[in-house]
Amino acid sequence: MSALSRDAIRTMMAEVLQAQGKSMPADDSANLEEIGFRSLDFSELALRVEDEIGDELNFDAPELRQIATISDVLDFLEQLQAA
Amino acid sequence: MSAGAGRLAGAANRIITRGFDGRWDELESMPLPDAAAVLVRDNHDAARAVWAAATADSEVLVASRTRVTPDLADDLRGAGLAIVDGDDVATPTTERDATPGRVWLLTSGSTGRPKQVAHTLESLTTVAGDQPRRTWLCPYAHGAYAWWQVVTLSIAHPGQDVLFIEPDELDTWPARALEVGVTAASGTPTFWRQALYRDPESVAALPLEQVTLGGEPVDQAILTRLTEMFPKARVSWIYASSEAGATIAVHDGRAGFPEQWLGREMEGRATLTIDDGELLIASPKRGEGIDQVLRTGDRVEVADGRVLITGRIASDEINVGGAKASASAVRDVLQAHPAVAWASVRGRKAPIVGSIVTAEVVLSGEATDAELTAWCAARLPDYSVPRRVRFLDQIPIKETLKSDV
Repeated sequence: MSALSRDAIRTMMAEVLQAQGKSMPADDSANLEEIGFRSLDFSELALRVEDEIGDELNFDAPELRQIATISDVLDFLEQLQAA
Repeated sequence: MSAGAGRLAGAANRIITRGFDGRWDELESMPLPDAAAVLVRDNHDAARAVWAAATADSEVLVASRTRVTPDLADDLRGAGLAIVDGDDVATPTTERDATPGRVWLLTSGSTGRPKQVAHTLESLTTVAGDQPRRTWLCPYAHGAYAWWQVVTLSIAHPGQDVLFIEPDELDTWPARALEVGVTAASGTPTFWRQALYRDPESVAALPLEQVTLGGEPVDQAILTRLTEMFPKARVSWIYASSEAGATIAVHDGRAGFPEQWLGREMEGRATLTIDDGELLIASPKRGEGIDQVLRTGDRVEVADGRVLITGRIASDEINVGGAKASASAVRDVLQAHPAVAWASVRGRKAPIVGSIVTAEVVLSGEATDAELTAWCAARLPDYSVPRRVRFLDQIPIKETLKSDV
């Protein structure tokens, strides 16, 4: 299955937040802590992406240290699919 | 009639299988070697094998043909049993004298190849004393411990008739049970959930006086549903296994058993203890050669004066980023939702946190993924809330009448 677009990942991220009773801001520079997007949410998003592309995503927690904003999440998952 | 009236005191009881409706002692004879593993196609074969072994006092193991793999058959022959499969008889590869009255059971095999556990008709007969006249429904897999409990009840006690149903009749049994006049039925929680999901009106029409559950953890939601559906019936749950025998019977319609039962020593009763969250049982009804104090592998927790048996220790714990979620606790919360007919919960490997909680759900009403998530979030810590919910259109059920094991 082909890689997901940035928009598609963004939609999924919004769904993860919505399921937790939170909303996705329009501004991709929003801080993850401020919008309540935690590691468990990131894991769920990664699984949603895995389910959609039919492949496992392999990465380690240290790689996530630089991720602070919505934009960082989208960049990271976009690049991971291409890897 | 008392239990002391003879071990075959139920010979005149009516049994109904597909293709047979008559008394135990009217079953067509089945010639068996002195020590035999009988591979059966249906309950008619199985009943004939039981009756043949009981009347000849021979050694027997009864199992569905589908359960006995070639490797297992070799093991059984090596253990001194002839394999009887229809007209074919494979002789044992080990010569030994038969043990009169020995009944072998196979364990569920959920942790590897099934093992043999030694019983007798007497050790399998766990009901004593006068019994009200009843017609039982027996949906269990041929030769399983719960199957033997219904069979030995019928063989040993007059007035205990049995309607046997086959695995392919699990969707249609209520109509047959109504026709035959079933007044008592025993099944796993999954069996009952499936029945209530598929055809609640037909099930509700049954004049049940006794409803029994066992074989899987029994949660309050299913007990309440059955108690409300059958207000005149006694609703019981039984804890039993091939190894331990039937050890706990609870009749008050509540999940778990009273905490006061822990450590209690009574003649003829099992002694129940807890060690590190695991249920330990010293049972007089255990199979031969089984440890006097058996570690069950089942997790228990004490809450509000009740000891709840929640599930298998080996499969219950889901490690979510270092926090420990209990699959059975999540399952119970989901199954308590009014629109959920059945749920199964397990961990799924996930990046960062190691595992996340996922669920499969069958709905009997309207509910969305988000509603179930909110329901769980209000009752469970956040790491236990299922992050992926998959909706199925029917309740998965195996020949064992279980869905998880």
